[in-house]
Amino acid sequence: MSQVFHEIEKKIITSLKDNQKQTPENLEKSTNLSPDQIRRGIEWLKLKGLAIVNESQTINISLGKNGLESFHKGLPERRLLDLLKNESKKLQDLQNDLGSVFGPAIGLARKNNWVDTSEDKIVLKNYPSEFLGEKTLKQIGENKIPKNEINLNDLSSILKRPDFIIEDVIKIKEISLTENAKLIEMTPGSSGAIDVESKVPDVIVARIHPLKDTIDEIREIFVTLGFTEIIGSMTQPSFWNFDALFTPQDHPARELQDTFYLDGLSAKKIGTLEQIRKISESHKKSWRYYWDINEARKMVLRTHTTCVTIKHLAENKPDEARVFSLGRVFRNEKVSYKHLVEFNQIEGVVIGKNSTLRDLMGIQKEFYRRIGITKIKFWPTFFPYTEPSFQTMVYNDRLGKWVELFGMGIFRPEVTKPLGITKPVLAWGGGIERIAMIKYELDDVREFYNNNLSWLRGVKKCQ
Amino acid sequence: MPVVELSYSRLQKLLGKISKKQIFDSLPFLGLDIESEDNDLIRAEYSPNRPDYSTDFGIVIGLQGLLGIKTGAIKLNIKKSNDYAIHVEPTVTKIRPFITGIIAKNGRIDDNIIKQLMAMQEDLHFGIGRKRKKSSIGIHDLDKISFPLTYTTTKRDHAFIPLNSDKKLTVSEILECTDVGRDYGSILGNSSQVPLIFDSKKQTVSFPPIINAAITTVTTKTKNLFVEVTGVNKSDIEDMLSIVATILQTAGFTLVSTKISGAKNSSPKFELKKLVIDSDLINQILGLTLNNSKIISSLKKSRLDATLKGKNIICSVPSHRFDIFGPMDLVEEVVLGYGIQNLEPILSPSQTLGQINPVSLQLKSVSQIMIGLGFTEALNSSLTSKRILYDMTNRESNEIISVLDSKSQEHTILRDSILPGLLENLSKNIHISYPQKLFETGTVFFQADPIGEKTNFAGVSSHRDATFTEIKSILQSALNQGFGLPIETKTFSYPIFEEGRAASILFNDKSIGIIGEISSKTIENYKIRVPVVGFEISLSGLIFD
Repeated sequence: MSQVFHEIEKKIITSLKDNQKQTPENLEKSTNLSPDQIRRGIEWLKLKGLAIVNESQTINISLGKNGLESFHKGLPERRLLDLLKNESKKLQDLQNDLGSVFGPAIGLARKNNWVDTSEDKIVLKNYPSEFLGEKTLKQIGENKIPKNEINLNDLSSILKRPDFIIEDVIKIKEISLTENAKLIEMTPGSSGAIDVESKVPDVIVARIHPLKDTIDEIREIFVTLGFTEIIGSMTQPSFWNFDALFTPQDHPARELQDTFYLDGLSAKKIGTLEQIRKISESHKKSWRYYWDINEARKMVLRTHTTCVTIKHLAENKPDEARVFSLGRVFRNEKVSYKHLVEFNQIEGVVIGKNSTLRDLMGIQKEFYRRIGITKIKFWPTFFPYTEPSFQTMVYNDRLGKWVELFGMGIFRPEVTKPLGITKPVLAWGGGIERIAMIKYELDDVREFYNNNLSWLRGVKKCQ
Repeated sequence: MPVVELSYSRLQKLLGKISKKQIFDSLPFLGLDIESEDNDLIRAEYSPNRPDYSTDFGIVIGLQGLLGIKTGAIKLNIKKSNDYAIHVEPTVTKIRPFITGIIAKNGRIDDNIIKQLMAMQEDLHFGIGRKRKKSSIGIHDLDKISFPLTYTTTKRDHAFIPLNSDKKLTVSEILECTDVGRDYGSILGNSSQVPLIFDSKKQTVSFPPIINAAITTVTTKTKNLFVEVTGVNKSDIEDMLSIVATILQTAGFTLVSTKISGAKNSSPKFELKKLVIDSDLINQILGLTLNNSKIISSLKKSRLDATLKGKNIICSVPSHRFDIFGPMDLVEEVVLGYGIQNLEPILSPSQTLGQINPVSLQLKSVSQIMIGLGFTEALNSSLTSKRILYDMTNRESNEIISVLDSKSQEHTILRDSILPGLLENLSKNIHISYPQKLFETGTVFFQADPIGEKTNFAGVSSHRDATFTEIKSILQSALNQGFGLPIETKTFSYPIFEEGRAASILFNDKSIGIIGEISSKTIENYKIRVPVVGFEISLSGLIFD
């Protein structure tokens, strides 16, 4: 297939076919293009792998003010020795004769043992057969000479002297065609075509937040499994977050160091009188302690979404239902790569007279299959409000190990009975960030809330 | 969750011919989460409802069951004796009314066993003992004590040499100068009298729930032990004692009874709890059709006893299994004995139709519209800080809702607005290419009775040419084209916006939010080098309730 070229490219290629190596200046002349057009054209052809830009440099040498003076009058040291050739002279006289070059000349003469000082006079000792640097001075004269034509050893003796030698660095750019380019046939016509193969700039893609994407996906899966979404408050009286879920008031999970209590806030109304009475009785009977309604009134940031579910069940008492609740939950933790103080949790419950533990396991298995996790197993665990209680372990291929995901169980009779729920309630759920971390291959859960734009814009949308 | 440190070699010594792999594979099925494994050592988390798993002796009992080495309930063999009497004086009633105890003789006590007993004691104190408040344990060298003992109270100037000390200290000094005194002294309140156990030679044995006397310290030379548990409730201290007794018997000690009397105290009975369970309930919950003998053998593998009586199964639960309240707990014991791995998951068709909550649907629409308008979605914590919410933006902070004792300074206050968080996000991205356009929907909080929540929606646009007109047309288009809600703006002033470039947003003449150019001071605070415009509206009451 023939490539499409810009007019500039066409002219440059044609010219280079005639004259294989050219500087940009030559090209300007041969193509009648402006320097800027030549620069752009060369850049395009280079990117396409059609032009080779060969950059080299040469250094031209000429004489500076002092160099020229020495070329005309002789090197200062020769002039000094010439003055002493016939007679020794006083320092002062020499200084007067030679002026500013006297200092360097006498220094060099002493260093080379050409002169001696006797009393207040300078005496000639040796007169060398040649002075280094003189050849170079003669060679250059008033011309410019390429550096590579000069004896570098001779040059070095005068190179450092102030204003003797001027070096001009000249950069040369030579453009030639690659072998491929030489084969290009310039066909006339196709003037409406554009270069569809050239590079174009990226634009910023606005995106849904990756965690939201996972949340939406999980929500969809729950709905297609027959669950209806319920929502509830993030701030809850302890009564629904703990007491209704059979967590005794002196349980360690209820302490300030695990749960966020809202400073100075207590709820006046926490439940119906019957609910309060029955739950307090259940606590007293099972945990043998003084149940304090004021503890139950204290407002907390919910530690799980289970409080929303249980409240819904207590209010509606369905015989047959699948509902789920999804949202932010809070734990008073030190923030780290694996812990956040605020994260998302999902929890689903199934009520029905024929709901069994195996059904619960089956729903889980199907849920995991739909988010792409097929290697799962179940282990026993403990939650204060379910019995039996299991946790799912899923195999994380990237980490090469089993990791804990959702918990599940059947609400204890101590939870359901006081609230008038008569059918078994299967419950399951867990943290969503954990699943999202697997999907986005993250090792640090904080990334989800950093709002780092380069990550938000660039992260691959997972399937 | 508490952690227990196990050793393969010790477990193998107690279990017999069982491979490391069998142990490793079985531990999770006792509910233990293996945290780490290092040659011979395993660290595992155990559930707080199973304090009997705080030593490897307790875990051996469980493993024996699962692996079929020994099944059925552990029977405590306690020799009756009248030699070990404890008399309780009524003065303790008001401060720590109950005591119980057991004698454990002729065990082999090495460093390892001492370490395990200490770890068990720690875990029991912390968990079911509720940091010693409900119940606490003292373990003593029996041969240093002269029975009978008296459990009574004493004044705070009573002095004795406490554990890990070489000089006499008074009760007051112990409470003020020792770590345990400072940590647990509050349990005793301001009472002038504190609990104390004396022996027949008037020697102090223990000052519960704080510290033992040094004289009864258990060392590798100790042969016989006396364990006492004190607390506020008779059942709780007997529960705790039954765990210690079970573990000591498994560790090879011979148990001998104590005789306790006075002030409503009595000797512990370690009675088996009888529970009746219907096989139908088990099968209905598990989704299985297990026959009675399978149920009974499964319960036995979980180290319980069970017999058939008519249609019902009578289950005998040993006293240390006080985590078992009723039939549902037994269902779990059956499934653990049967093996979770043997339960086949089933997927029955749902009898119900699922539905997304209308609020979620509406929020999703908002997201889709904003993405169409070129805005990227951000997510911020709703528990945030005074710095972000108020200091950086000069907003008024007179209705702060804060949490108590947060471990993170960045998370102390519930947000009342989303916009400040988005500005914080922009400040973290000043090295990234512009334009930067962000939006977020989420919950904000306000003071009500006691607290109110609503859903807000905010957006910011930040680039060289950002203007009020741009952001107003974004919001206007999003609301009108997305939801059919025409809005108007009315001049207003807010600290977060530049004076004269801010407005309140009106829908049907009612204010639903704010919009404007972010004030140059805030932009400067955040070291952002381009203009920022933004808005925030409340969606609650607008597109949903």
